[in-house]
Amino acid sequence: MRINHSRRDGPMSTRTWSGLAAAALLGLAAVGCTDPMVAPKSTVTTANIFTDKAAYQQFLAKIYAGLIVTGQRGPDGNADIGGIDEGFGEYLRLYWYLQEVPTDEALIGWNDPGLPDLNTGLWGADNSMVNAMYYRVFYQVMLVNEFLRQTVDDSLAARGQSDIKDQVHQYRAEARFLRALSYAHGLDLFGDIPLVTETDPLGATPPKQVARDSIFKYVVSELNDIKGSLPAVGPSAYGRATESAANMLLAELYLNAGVYTGTDHWADALAAAQTVIGSGSFSLSPSFHSNFTADNNLSPELIYVAPQDGNHTQTWGGMTFLVHAGCGGSMLASWFGMDYCWGGYRMTQQAYRLFGTGDSRGAFIYDSLTAVDSTTARRQRDSLATSDTTKWTKIDKTRSDSAGSVGSFDQGPANPKFTNMTSTGGRGAQLGMVDTDFPIFRLGEAYLIYAEAAVRSGTNRAQALTYVNLLRERAYGGAAGDITDPQLTLDFLLSERGRELLFEAKRRTDLIRYGLFQSGTYVWAWKGGVAGGTALTAGRDLYPIPANELIANPNLKQNPGY
Amino acid sequence: MRRLRHIGGALLALLWMTPLHAQGPTGTVSGRVTDQGTQAPLAGVTVTAGSRGARTSADGRYTISGVPSGAFEVRARIIGYAPATHSTTVVGGQTVVVDLALAPQAVKLAEVVVTGYGEQRAGDITGAVKQIAPEEFNAGRVVSPGELILAKVAGAQVVDNNEPGGSVSIRIRGATSITASSEPLYVIDGQPVGTGAGGGINAGRDPLNFLNPNDIESITVLKDASAAAIYGSNAANGVVLIQTKTGRGGPLIEYRGSVSASSVTRLPSLLNPQQFREAVAQYAPARVSLLSDSSTDWFGQIDRTGLGQEHNLVVSGMGENSSYRLSVGYLKQDGIIRGSTTERVSLGANFDQRFFHDDLDIKLSLKGARGGDEFTPTDVLGNAAAMAPTQPVLDPTSGTGYWDWTTSNASPSNPVASLNLATNRGVTYRSLGNLQAQYAFPFLTGLKANVNAGYDIGKADRRFFFPSNLAAQVRQGHGQFQLTNSTQANSVVETYLNYASTVGGLPGSIDLTGGYSYTQQHDDRLFYDERGLSSNLLGDNAIVPADNVSSNDYITDYRLISFFGRVNYNINDRYMFAASLRRDGSSRFGANHAWGVFPSAAVAWRLASGGSKVSDLKLRASWAKTGNQAFGDYLQYSTYTYSDPLTQYQFGTQFINTIRPSAVDPDIHWEETQAYNVGLDYGFLNQRLSGTIDWYVKNTDDLIFYVPVAAGTNLSNYVTTNIASMRNRGIEVSLSAVVKQGGRGGLGWTADFNASHNGNELISINPSKSVKQVLTGSISGGVGNLVQVLKPGSPINSFFVYQQKYDDAGKPIEGGYVDQPTVLDSVACGSATPAAGCVGLYRPDGVINDSDRRPYHDPAPKWIFSHSSYLTLGKADLSITLRAYLGNYVYNNVASSLGAYQNLTGSAMPSNLQASVLETGFVVPQYYSDYFVEDGSFLRLDNITLGYAFNYGGRPWRVFGTVQNAFTLTGYSGVDPTAGLNGIDNNIYPRSRTFTGGLSVQF
Repeated sequence: MRINHSRRDGPMSTRTWSGLAAAALLGLAAVGCTDPMVAPKSTVTTANIFTDKAAYQQFLAKIYAGLIVTGQRGPDGNADIGGIDEGFGEYLRLYWYLQEVPTDEALIGWNDPGLPDLNTGLWGADNSMVNAMYYRVFYQVMLVNEFLRQTVDDSLAARGQSDIKDQVHQYRAEARFLRALSYAHGLDLFGDIPLVTETDPLGATPPKQVARDSIFKYVVSELNDIKGSLPAVGPSAYGRATESAANMLLAELYLNAGVYTGTDHWADALAAAQTVIGSGSFSLSPSFHSNFTADNNLSPELIYVAPQDGNHTQTWGGMTFLVHAGCGGSMLASWFGMDYCWGGYRMTQQAYRLFGTGDSRGAFIYDSLTAVDSTTARRQRDSLATSDTTKWTKIDKTRSDSAGSVGSFDQGPANPKFTNMTSTGGRGAQLGMVDTDFPIFRLGEAYLIYAEAAVRSGTNRAQALTYVNLLRERAYGGAAGDITDPQLTLDFLLSERGRELLFEAKRRTDLIRYGLFQSGTYVWAWKGGVAGGTALTAGRDLYPIPANELIANPNLKQNPGY
Repeated sequence: MRRLRHIGGALLALLWMTPLHAQGPTGTVSGRVTDQGTQAPLAGVTVTAGSRGARTSADGRYTISGVPSGAFEVRARIIGYAPATHSTTVVGGQTVVVDLALAPQAVKLAEVVVTGYGEQRAGDITGAVKQIAPEEFNAGRVVSPGELILAKVAGAQVVDNNEPGGSVSIRIRGATSITASSEPLYVIDGQPVGTGAGGGINAGRDPLNFLNPNDIESITVLKDASAAAIYGSNAANGVVLIQTKTGRGGPLIEYRGSVSASSVTRLPSLLNPQQFREAVAQYAPARVSLLSDSSTDWFGQIDRTGLGQEHNLVVSGMGENSSYRLSVGYLKQDGIIRGSTTERVSLGANFDQRFFHDDLDIKLSLKGARGGDEFTPTDVLGNAAAMAPTQPVLDPTSGTGYWDWTTSNASPSNPVASLNLATNRGVTYRSLGNLQAQYAFPFLTGLKANVNAGYDIGKADRRFFFPSNLAAQVRQGHGQFQLTNSTQANSVVETYLNYASTVGGLPGSIDLTGGYSYTQQHDDRLFYDERGLSSNLLGDNAIVPADNVSSNDYITDYRLISFFGRVNYNINDRYMFAASLRRDGSSRFGANHAWGVFPSAAVAWRLASGGSKVSDLKLRASWAKTGNQAFGDYLQYSTYTYSDPLTQYQFGTQFINTIRPSAVDPDIHWEETQAYNVGLDYGFLNQRLSGTIDWYVKNTDDLIFYVPVAAGTNLSNYVTTNIASMRNRGIEVSLSAVVKQGGRGGLGWTADFNASHNGNELISINPSKSVKQVLTGSISGGVGNLVQVLKPGSPINSFFVYQQKYDDAGKPIEGGYVDQPTVLDSVACGSATPAAGCVGLYRPDGVINDSDRRPYHDPAPKWIFSHSSYLTLGKADLSITLRAYLGNYVYNNVASSLGAYQNLTGSAMPSNLQASVLETGFVVPQYYSDYFVEDGSFLRLDNITLGYAFNYGGRPWRVFGTVQNAFTLTGYSGVDPTAGLNGIDNNIYPRSRTFTGGLSVQF
């Protein structure tokens, strides 16, 4: 151990200086910055987006697009809604599932979550597809409400955008049409649902449920209010809602008013359909098929569509789904202008039997595994009527329970009504994505609404017969299929709707209006989970409010039977 | 909350007021304290002269000023050493030098351990902290620093993804988050490096690859929340502190180099060509004609022996007031699958200069590297499994020269064609540097000011190229090129004051720290994607005209401002108290929650020390609140997203781009973890047996979750918000035993054993604590199938499957599942004679549907055991690292998706089948069968290294050989039971066995 006395020292001045410098630096840094907030740079927010004039049209386009695309990246990758595979969660694909798969028109063999139970009517309140549809409806509603909040005149003036006021007024009417459309779907599928409008603040407490007839009244009054403000029919309005689109939606609502409110509105339905027919803006396309081709935008019959485009509007839902999934088995994708077949949905034998010989609407039916091209396939379909059972490889047309397996595509006749080929035999722009637009309303349906309203109300039957025969003559290529007044019955009209509107997402509503959806008086393959069909559990006329939603929103009451 | 804003400032002020006043003529006692045996300076020794005292600094020096004149006993005391005293006389105005040498008792307790914003002696620590030194690091082919401590720390699960340089995840005491990151915070040379795994950016491999493991001096893991809490809102997942090496002695030139060879250990079990032909003949007779008569081992076509080499050159030295260390490293490692490679060129520099008699210490640390990575094109592993083994590799008549199915987009494609024609590569530049200035105030011994200023910049460039003539591209009419170019620039400025001294009039010593930290991060991500290429000629080197282009550039800024303070109080090494407080303001929190406060408190009580039998016994208890903010930026703003050109909407003949508002929770804030830890540090027989036992509970609340919200309340059905809570509970036991003390060429053997158990449970997903669940875990096969669940009452990511039924022969029945009791049936089950099948108040509903799926095991290991042995015999040394998991489950997705005969008959061309189909006979894939959830428990000899050290030219040289993954014993049937963190084995990169030989030399 060493001990000595010494001094540790140094140039005091330097030490003091450095000490002060360190302290100063420390103090400077400590008071330097105490504000952690950072405003986004590459991101547009509510604060700046609407100073761009284009934003108003872009926002409206988003609401329209909400029916057909699933997000901001095509065909997927930036989804609008969560909780479901993005491709499944497309509005019209979900709507089609809910309107077609439980009915006598379609069976689909996939095991996608929730889908098998739609074939059989055994769905519960946790069904993924049902849930996603509910959220798609309210997704549209909330977009519209936000659009309406952001586009009041005062806001436009405050942003110096008053010069586009008239244009924005029209946009607002279109947005309200889209909200009405989704509410119409919502009340039809789910019954009593919340009614949320632009006057309800965002992010507030969960909304209250209102009665189905209140939604009905709201939708009707909205449509009547905006009819005159919508764009006129014309080339620039393709893909957009016109007055005729609003009248078609009104016609459908009135036709089903008895179901929705307990009070029939046959005369209103007839009048609304007549307004569309009488507008002169639309005419039947000479070829039925051309309403469902890659160039169906040229059809004079389509009143309102969700347009798709292989190069610009890509989705795994809508027509991409309908074209791909209707093809399978030994069919070749190239017949339909596609890359490959998904082997998804086909007809039940009940739907199949609606089509008679010579009805060109059944010309797409494909029911054999042995055909080598589409021409042969059509011939084989025609030969069925002559009882040539050798062509029936998989289903027994004489029995109601013959679709032996839901899971296998080749059990049951396919009906590839929708195609990505043009009416002139050309291919769509792309093989994976289709150009075919999804028809939401077309003139053919207006005739049938008119006819049914006429028959049900006992008025205008002659005019109704004329309209029906217009459709029949197109289907048969002449008068061979014409019907007479005594044949113009409600049963005939339901069958005719089955032929004319097959796979066009109307069937469930029709069967409910006819009281046949859940009843045991009319059964079809796999209804109720039985091959031969049986009645559904009471309450299936309505889909359930999603189980998750009942937890998230304690104001809601579940539909009976769930 | 606002009044807390300046709490850090108040603490600073307190520190400034601490100076003590001396009365009358006083003198100074100063000197140096060393280890009697090694002569090494001892830091942190408490030295007292009467009522005055001081603690020694890193070089062992101390100064006690203001000592009244007179005779004193100068006492030096530190845990792990016998105390020493010396009598001296202090004369007013003079300095008396007293140097002391202490005799070691239990050395490990006096070792200095790096903690946040300072360091502590191991024996003083009140939290659960483990420091790993280089001699314990895993040797061999180690690319990323995380691999160094694999199986070395109880409670820290290190998961690599098998790729060369692949990302390394560390879970400290289980996952604390679901949506945000569960990776620890990394702090390199005192500088926090961002949130998430290693912060920073990378082109697809581990972001810490820029840090050469050869430059690392120590890695410290702050496991419990009280130790980590000084890092506040980033500390919930624990903290990993990495210190890099500095110059010592010298001047010295060191070279360390090695070469390695890796080979595949296990591959998926698939049908051989003969079995495949038979299967096609039986199940798809119409397709037999499609098969050719080749026999191709597709994995044999894509795997290889991966060679590697590594070279490190270090120049270091030390002067009287300075030290330096410069290093340059080169590493190249080929993966065992062709097309995967990692390459690194790294530079490191550490420089330390002291001024003013060491009062001012300036340290500079600079690290930088260029990483070049090649990746296997994404579809290669899956296609090697699925491609029919009867088909040839080459086809001279095809456009590419490779054989491929020409129809059906869903068909497998030739993996060799992808490997040889497509490219997938990235380049990362990253550099981290900081300047640390520490100033010891001359007028108050023990008070130091620190200023750290650092940067972390990175640039990552990743590009894919799929030429348009590849079969999969031809079918889609594409050809694809994608470029992602990201840059990131972070800057950190931290200042803090530290005061360590004895306390006048009170027993013991106090250590106070208070400071301020400012972090800013700027990211710029450029993304470019094009399809429908006009030419393949230039490969991935150019952007050629294309049919469809989508691109975006996204800039994000992030800021974190913090005030922090800490008090450590140590009474005679017997009672220790620690408390810290951090206040964070983050740009990621909503405006109403901009600031968060994160406190901690800990106590320790040393029950025994210094005895020859019981050399140390210390009981610890702590509590802390920490946060996690490793989630996206700007979640609190309602933003609008533009559509890409493929999601336009048609108005007439015009296509309109759309804008979408986002759903938002403006009140979003950090996730909060409250953790309790009770621990025991023990040492027996002069620390020949030592270790710790810890028990902890971590309750995480306000978990950020992408959750459903009531329809009609927000702009989507899901919003990211704070809504769930979960709990991790566990115990950790570690034991380090000096089995045989070496020396004089005899056998020396140190053995470490770790065991840790963690149990995770999701407590609730929303405030109503309903039985709601969220499905996760997407798998390959089908569309939208999810096999895992987040369900209250179960561990996170539990597999969510049907209970498979088996026939009498033990064969699984296709579609035969147990009908779980799901229907409330109080009548039948509540009666005196319960109906068959009733369980409680529930009965089976008679149908098999989604409600019959149930949580069934989860991917996280329930127990992790590890053992390391370090043996020396003469000049030879041997180290062994063994690891075992118990109770980790893996979903064998290769088996579930390829193990069904339907793959032969679907719309796609026949794909090869996984061998389980021979046992199950499944025709339709049974994705949700628990048959495919396998126990992944294993025992693995991770590392065995044999070295031989000798002198050459008077300098120590060493040669060594290492085998990594020498063997794995497991019942799991797939490729690797450590199949990543999510437990889904979907064509994961196979694990390799690596042989490395190398030498290190000094000049």
